Amino acid sequence: MSDGESHPILRRAEATPGLLPALRQLLRERREATVAAMLVLVFVLLSFGSPFFLTERNLFNVARQLSVVAIVALGQALVIIAGGIDLSVGSVIGLSAVAAAMAANATNSPAVGIVAALAVGGLTGVVNGTLITRARINPFITTLGTLSVVRGAALLVTNGSPQRFDNWAAFLGGGRIANVPVQFILLVLLAALIWIFAVRTRWGRDVYAVGDNARAARLAGLDVKFTRTMVFTISGLLAGLGGLLLAGMLSNANPNLGLGYELDVIAAVILGGVALTGGRGSIGGVVIGAALMGLLRNAFVLLNVSGYWQTITIGLVVIVAVGADSFNRKAEED
Amino acid sequence: MSQAPSGAPSYGAPVLSVHDVRKGFDGAPVLHGIDLDVPAGQILALVGENGAGKSTLLNIVSGALQADGGVIALDGIVRHWAGPRDALQAGIALVHQELSIIRSLSVAENVLLGDYCAGPRGFVDRPAMRARARALLDEVGAHHVRPETRADRLSTADQQLVEIAKALTRDLRVLIMDEPTSSLTPHEAEALFVVMRRLAARGVCVLFISHRFDEVFRVADRIVVLRDGRLVGDRPAAGTTRDAAIADMTGRAFSFSRRVARPARREESVLSVRNLCDRHWLGPVDFDLRAGEILGVFGLVGAGRSELLELLGGLRQPGGGAVRLFDGGGLPATPAHAWARGVAILPEDRKAAGIAPNLSVHENMLLSWRRTAPGWINPARERGVVAPLMRRLAVRARGPAQLVRTLSGGNQQKAILGRCLAAAPRLLLLDEPTRGVDIGTKAEIYDHIAALANEGMAVIFASSELPEVLALATTVMVLARGQQRLCAPNEGLDEASVLSAAFSFEANGA
Ligand SMILES: Nc1ncnc2c1ncn2[C@@H]1O[C@H](COP(=O)(O)OP(=O)(O)OP(=O)(O)O)[C@@H](O)[C@H]1O
Ligand SMILES: [Mg+2]
Repeated sequence: MSDGESHPILRRAEATPGLLPALRQLLRERREATVAAMLVLVFVLLSFGSPFFLTERNLFNVARQLSVVAIVALGQALVIIAGGIDLSVGSVIGLSAVAAAMAANATNSPAVGIVAALAVGGLTGVVNGTLITRARINPFITTLGTLSVVRGAALLVTNGSPQRFDNWAAFLGGGRIANVPVQFILLVLLAALIWIFAVRTRWGRDVYAVGDNARAARLAGLDVKFTRTMVFTISGLLAGLGGLLLAGMLSNANPNLGLGYELDVIAAVILGGVALTGGRGSIGGVVIGAALMGLLRNAFVLLNVSGYWQTITIGLVVIVAVGADSFNRKAEED
Repeated sequence: MSQAPSGAPSYGAPVLSVHDVRKGFDGAPVLHGIDLDVPAGQILALVGENGAGKSTLLNIVSGALQADGGVIALDGIVRHWAGPRDALQAGIALVHQELSIIRSLSVAENVLLGDYCAGPRGFVDRPAMRARARALLDEVGAHHVRPETRADRLSTADQQLVEIAKALTRDLRVLIMDEPTSSLTPHEAEALFVVMRRLAARGVCVLFISHRFDEVFRVADRIVVLRDGRLVGDRPAAGTTRDAAIADMTGRAFSFSRRVARPARREESVLSVRNLCDRHWLGPVDFDLRAGEILGVFGLVGAGRSELLELLGGLRQPGGGAVRLFDGGGLPATPAHAWARGVAILPEDRKAAGIAPNLSVHENMLLSWRRTAPGWINPARERGVVAPLMRRLAVRARGPAQLVRTLSGGNQQKAILGRCLAAAPRLLLLDEPTRGVDIGTKAEIYDHIAALANEGMAVIFASSELPEVLALATTVMVLARGQQRLCAPNEGLDEASVLSAAFSFEANGA
């Protein structure tokens, strides 16, 4: 139709390109950008809101408090990117903490305690992975089961009573090097390690492919079972380490340690921009997500707001962050 | 504003009008102002190279995408849809390039999706639903499809019919089909054309995208060509030549009447198959494949083409027979084993089994290549693998980092084909290798495969496109209901003889 005059349609105002297309694109492509922006916002607000916030003491406290959640979230992120979910991490924290304490006390060798904690975590991960890939039980159900079994085991072996843990291995959880909490140093090292694993190794890239389209991955020659078992094992190992650190920090291993941690960990992962549907997410984002959660916790302490509000707010932040993200990508999703 | 091509034919009063429609993704324009009027009862074929913007245009018309500018009118009234639901309500239905059937629901539930028959108490009235679905299925000629069947048990062709039946639930004005025949055999495609003509006779505008020129000329009244987001050709089908349409598409003169250079056959055996059966109905199949040979497997739907490839690729368990691969071993047990031994597989179902949609072109193309590369990734080396392949296969993407899901359908196909080629296999198993690939690139791909065969690779490909089989294969095999009907060198074979072999089962009255 070349004849515009007789055309039955009136011209409409031409749509102009979006106001900040570059920013929008950034938000769409990097899901963690939203959360990074929130992190900066909370940081700035707190700097003005409380004179104590920017003190070295407080900042290192925040760093220490967020380390365990962040470390365990690194493993959880791999599991979720691979299309799974690991609900057992909280219980693994509990069992590995008491295993570390009991093994160290029984053998008088803290090194054995460290090995015991990691072994409990790694083993739980292998069991999870095997049940999921060989017995083909869905990850949610499998890890819901191990969540219960592992917690029960921690209570059973200790008869419900806390175990003393105050040897040199506790330094990992409670110590400081040049005032920096050792936990936080570990977090930085592990985050770098997992990040390199995820972006620079074949096994890391396979995690993304398996989570994005497992069937295509299998047909392309990937060993999907191996990849799935691997991510659950890594998640278990890191949860085991988390248990060790918590026990060290408290000089005491309570069988109920880590109760409910799986929710904080999953929230940090989701907040960090990892898609629950798998295949998408970055390790950097997860660290940012965990940092935001830690900062919010600190904010409530500094501003003297009731802890109940803290729980409510963290829930809301997760919903808002994920909601804002879906809103940004809504147009292209369907 | 695009220049309407000179000599555009004029037709009756338009039912559907598209005016100055523009669209871009992330700042990159894809449609530069499209004008198109379609009168009642016209069958319009939209053709163009991969990534020209065909799907984008029809997605906008059917409300699945929002235009950045321009308007769409139905019966001269400007309409605006917030989503496909609105468009469907107004009588515009789209059957997607990638079928979007819900696999776990029954056929009846799929046909009546979102429009279940409610009984008196608000519960679903199953008998009424089945009856309505039955009537709609009959209307599209799917008499053999039962409403109770689970959708994932249907063949692709039947799933397609279900999608069209789904479109008929409302007063249909415009039916849009994105590459409806890309996974149909000629026979099934013919049945679909009958449905299209019947709907057109009722006054429905039928718009379809196709890369198969023979069918475009057979079924369409009008051929519209899109190139780089501009409408560059608009001709009545009668009196237009294939070469003229292709010249519009590519912007250069192009002769399609060419044959691929035949690779030299060698003596080393790559695969020998004796009495191979699966556990159901496929087989026995017998053949020998030598290095440099390209075996083209043709058959009607349900003939067992995909099943044969799946057996050879380790996706399906054999029921009997003997297979000897180039390494002296038998059938690979899993796809991972197949790849490890140098057998590459390209699955038929691009969306479900081919692409990793949220990963980049780069990642998708290297998925299999990485099996044999060191575990530590060397980005420079990887780029050195991807870049030449993207060029060779004419993958149209903003760059290797573009997510595969945002590529056009044909370009997605090229990406996963590239995945197979990157791995440099000894034996290449391709199920519908050029599904959705434009006609110019197809020739490129045939040349590329032939060149690889010439270097000693053996290829088995299944195709529902007879011209493709005859152009590329050195040996042609025909399957009919799981039985091997023909396995002969591709010399002196023509479409008629191959087709009659494919139909021979019916002819024998077995
Ligand atoms: N969601 C998206 N984000 C970014 N780019 C997109 C998106 N969808 C489509 N594109 C781009 O728009 C262009 C046109 O795509 P379209 O799917 O319309 O092509 P097509 O003509 O249908 O091709 P084909 O024959 O391969 O199906 C392509 O270059 C594609 O990469
Ligand atoms: Mg398309």
